[in-house]
Amino acid sequence: MNEVAIGTEALTKTYANIHAVSGINLTVPRGAIYGFLGRNGAGKTTTIKMLLGLARPTAGAAHVLGMDVAAERMAVLRRTAFVSEKKTLYPSLTPSELVRFSRGFYPTWSDSAVEKYARLLEIPMKQRFEKLSNGNQTKVWLLLALSQGADLLILDEPTTALDPVSVDQLLHVLAEDGLDQGCTIFFSSHQLEEVERIAEYAGIIDHGQLLMESRLDDIKSEFRLITAAGNSLPEQTSSQVLSVVVEGNFYSYVVTNHADTFAAALSQNGATVTNVAPLSLREIFLQLVRKER
Amino acid sequence: MYFWKCWRDTRYFFIVFLIIAAIVMPVAAVVCVGTHLVEDFGTSAFSATFALILMALALGLGAIGAIHEFTEKTAHFLFTKPRSRAYFVWVAWLVGFAELLTIAAVNFLAGWVTLSRYTKNPSHSAIFGSVTPHTLLDPLISCLLAYCLTYSLTVLLRNGLKGLGASMGILFGFPLFAAAIRWRWHIVLALPPEPIGSLSAAISSIIWILIAMLFVLAAQLVVERAEV
Repeated sequence: MNEVAIGTEALTKTYANIHAVSGINLTVPRGAIYGFLGRNGAGKTTTIKMLLGLARPTAGAAHVLGMDVAAERMAVLRRTAFVSEKKTLYPSLTPSELVRFSRGFYPTWSDSAVEKYARLLEIPMKQRFEKLSNGNQTKVWLLLALSQGADLLILDEPTTALDPVSVDQLLHVLAEDGLDQGCTIFFSSHQLEEVERIAEYAGIIDHGQLLMESRLDDIKSEFRLITAAGNSLPEQTSSQVLSVVVEGNFYSYVVTNHADTFAAALSQNGATVTNVAPLSLREIFLQLVRKER
Repeated sequence: MYFWKCWRDTRYFFIVFLIIAAIVMPVAAVVCVGTHLVEDFGTSAFSATFALILMALALGLGAIGAIHEFTEKTAHFLFTKPRSRAYFVWVAWLVGFAELLTIAAVNFLAGWVTLSRYTKNPSHSAIFGSVTPHTLLDPLISCLLAYCLTYSLTVLLRNGLKGLGASMGILFGFPLFAAAIRWRWHIVLALPPEPIGSLSAAISSIIWILIAMLFVLAAQLVVERAEV
C-alpha cells in the first residue's frame, strides 16, 4: 500500500507570465494532518485545484492516494472530500437538499455523520443556503465533506468566517474523528495557530515555491532565536542565518540548522550569548516569508 | 441527484409554459365557438401556436437550463464530484429537452382534444386532416436547434442573458444573412427545417438534428477544457 496520500513532482502552474506554482514537491503521508501555510496569493489554492483536477498543471505531476490525478481523476474524486476557499453553493437549496444532492455521488456517504455534524455544528438544515450566515455556509461545506466517508480531506481555508467556538469545534472534529477514521487531512490556512494546534506536518509556500516541508516538531526544533551582546558581530544573512536585527550592541539572530555551533562561533568572536530560544511557528513563518521577499 | 437539481432549476419555468400550452388552444376554441371560426381554426392556427410556444420555451430553457456552474460560481463544488463534466452537460441538456417534448405533447393533445370537441372526427376532418408528421416535426426541429444553440452559447459565454441574446441574434440574423447571400451571389442557404439542397426531407431533418447535437457537443468540449 502506498504510504503517501499526496505526492507532487515539480508541480508547476503558470498563467500568462505569472508563476502561480513553481515546481513544488509535496509529500503528505497517509493518515497525517498536514497544514499548508502561505500568505494570500502564495499558491495554496492553485496547488489544491491541481490536486483535484480543477486546473491543469503547466508541468509536473500530482498523485493522490497513489493515483495519477490526470489519468484517474474520477477515482481520486470518489475518495477525496473537498472544502473550497469560496464557500458558495446553490443559493436556493437548503442544507438538507444539498445533502440529498451530494449523497448519491458517494457510495461511502454516511447519513449518521450528517446527523452528528449537523447537530454538533448547529447547522439550520431547513434554511436556504443564501439565507445562512457566512459561518453557517462554511459549516455546510464542512458537513458535506465530513459525511462523505472520504480517505482524504482537502480543506482550503476551512475556518474562514467561523467564530472562535466553531473553529474550536471544527479543529476538535478534524483531530479526533478524522484521525480515528484513518483519514488524511490536508488543509491550507494562514491561521498559524490552527495549524500549530492540530497539524503533524506543515509545508510553507510563498510566491509559488515550497519554502519548507517537514514534521512540525522538526521545524520547530530546527529554528532558534539567538540573542547576543558584543561589538562588530556579523550582520549578514546566509542560508543558515535567516535574519539579523541589531539594536546598539545587542544582536538577534534567527538561525536554522546547528544553532549551537553558531552560538559557539559568536562566543569565540567575543560575544556574550544571552539566550538561545525556540521559535513559534508564527515566528518561523514570518522569518521564512520575509526572507523570500 | 443532478437530474433532480436541473429539474428544480427549471420547474417554475416549465410549469408556467405547461399551463400556457394547455390552455391556449381551448381558450382560442371557446372564443371561436358560434362564429364558425373554429372550423377554420385548424392546422394553421394550431401550427402557429405550437411553434410559437415551443420556440419561446426553447430559448428560455436553453438560457435557464444550461449548466449553471460558472455563473453561480459553484463549479468547484460540482466539478469535484466523481462524475465526468460531460455527464453534467448532457444531463442538464436532457432535462430541458424532456421538458420541451412534454410541453409539445401537452400543447398538441390540448389542441387535439379541443378540436375533437367541436368536430366529429378530428383525424379525418378538414381541420386536422392536413396535419402531417412534418407539420409537427418541422417546428420541433426548429425548436431543438434554437434550444441547443442557446444552451451552447450560454455555456460558452457563461451567462444566461448573453447566451440568449447571442442565440436570438443568430436565429434572427441568419435568415437575413441567407437572403443577402442569395441576393448577392445567388447561393441558396437552407434555413432550418427546410430540406437541404436536393436531399429528402427525412435526411435533411436528420442533418438538422445532428447540427443541433453538435452545438451541445461544443458546449461539452468547452466545459471539459475549462479551468475552474
